[in-house]
Amino acid sequence: MSGDTTGIAGGASQNWVTLAVMIIVGALALFSLYMGFQAYGNSEIDTAFIYLIIGASGFVAIGYSFFRSKPPVKESLDAKQAEVITTLECPQCNLKRVRPFQRGDYIFKSDEPCTRCEGKMVITRIHTRKEEKKT
Amino acid sequence: MFHLLGQLPTQDSEIGVILQSLFSFAFIIYLFYAQRIQSMTMLRQIEVTLRKIKGLRDKGKETAISVIREMGKPERDPTPQVERFMEHFMIEPVGMDPAGVVGKLGQLLNVREFTFEKEVEVMAPEATDAERNNMENLLEASLALNVFYKVIRHYYLLGKKTMNIYVIMQIHMILPMIVQQIEAYSSALQAFSDGIPIGDSVGPIVAAKLMNGSEIREVAKEMVAGEITYEGRRVIVTKALGPGGSVGKPGDAVANLLKENEGKVSMLITVDAAGKLEGEEVGEIAEGVGAAIGGPGVEKYKMEKAATDYKVPMYAVAIKQGMEHVVAPLVEPLFDATDKAVASVKGLILDYSKEGDTVIVAGIGNTVGVAQ
Repeated sequence: MSGDTTGIAGGASQNWVTLAVMIIVGALALFSLYMGFQAYGNSEIDTAFIYLIIGASGFVAIGYSFFRSKPPVKESLDAKQAEVITTLECPQCNLKRVRPFQRGDYIFKSDEPCTRCEGKMVITRIHTRKEEKKT
Repeated sequence: MFHLLGQLPTQDSEIGVILQSLFSFAFIIYLFYAQRIQSMTMLRQIEVTLRKIKGLRDKGKETAISVIREMGKPERDPTPQVERFMEHFMIEPVGMDPAGVVGKLGQLLNVREFTFEKEVEVMAPEATDAERNNMENLLEASLALNVFYKVIRHYYLLGKKTMNIYVIMQIHMILPMIVQQIEAYSSALQAFSDGIPIGDSVGPIVAAKLMNGSEIREVAKEMVAGEITYEGRRVIVTKALGPGGSVGKPGDAVANLLKENEGKVSMLITVDAAGKLEGEEVGEIAEGVGAAIGGPGVEKYKMEKAATDYKVPMYAVAIKQGMEHVVAPLVEPLFDATDKAVASVKGLILDYSKEGDTVIVAGIGNTVGVAQ
């Protein structure tokens, strides 16, 4: 795997070609529409019709391409690091304490001294912290 | 300016003829090459995703190596062994003659498990049993990420080579679902490297809540059981041995417990995580009948076989969760759901058994970060 040399590159140029073709078609379609409206203003109905059809089909084609090529996955695909919290409870005095998870914590582990009485606190909950809703 | 431009493409103008030819040319190109352009766009999207998956695969490998170095304190660099592990595969038994296929698959899975245990033992000689189990799970998550990466790369390169839109579309269409699974496995890296309970741990958490404080004994490989009394019923609760990451052999445990009690058990309840449908809430509890247990099917087969032999009715409690939760660190709604599942199990016991009966409850799933 360290010698993984199989290229996955090479698609960047393809994307530029696609984009360039779309831009050219878009520019021509826009120009065609303009020409169509101008011809219509000059009462050249036949010419206007042709220009308008060409222009409209250009935009339809571009729209269809964009619709079909919507990104299938979201941009951020990273290894998420969740914020995990540990809840400890003292079975003797019912003191509850919440702290960040530490490696070695597990549910029903009992080795931390209670800060209020002489008992030992037991880990009762381990889960991720609830994500705050973005406003 | 537009007025001047408008004068250009008249019938008499040379520029007009050129522009009209350009229009026609562009549309003809688009007419014939639209599919090719679409293929290139899809290939580009697959490529972008593939790069990200490669990053996650590499991250998985790095995490595994650093955890092994930190906990296992190996004498030599574990990188070549981790790389070898990530290429590990299992050939499933032939299914043309289905008789005995479960036994054959079970035998293969045992060999696979044994091999993984030995590999990790060599890689991390100083690690404790629980840490080794976590490392094994971590390596399995890295292995899964590597397989995803290689399969997507295969279709990407095949599509690029043939420029066949149907080959490209195959992978493009299922990419969002694959990405969801990959994201789940990437979350598993944190869970298994630190020993955090995961979504699949809900079954063992329910069992641990029921059996906590009772005397624990081993009933099968990496399976423990404890006995409690609930409303006059004798309840035997079993789960995988924690807090290291392990699913144990719940099929063997249930079969052994039934044999031990000579089949005089009034009901068997399995509690497990279950895939939720879109629209269902995370942590919803559902009750049903049958053996709630996933995996390749070997343990489920053993459980069903034993329950059928002794004519023990099987009940199931499912805790619903999404694909993204199964191997990711446990979320709060799922932890809260374990209390509801405990209540559900107690309700089933009261409803379908009477005082003096013996009931078996099995908490199915990976017990990472959950003791007993």
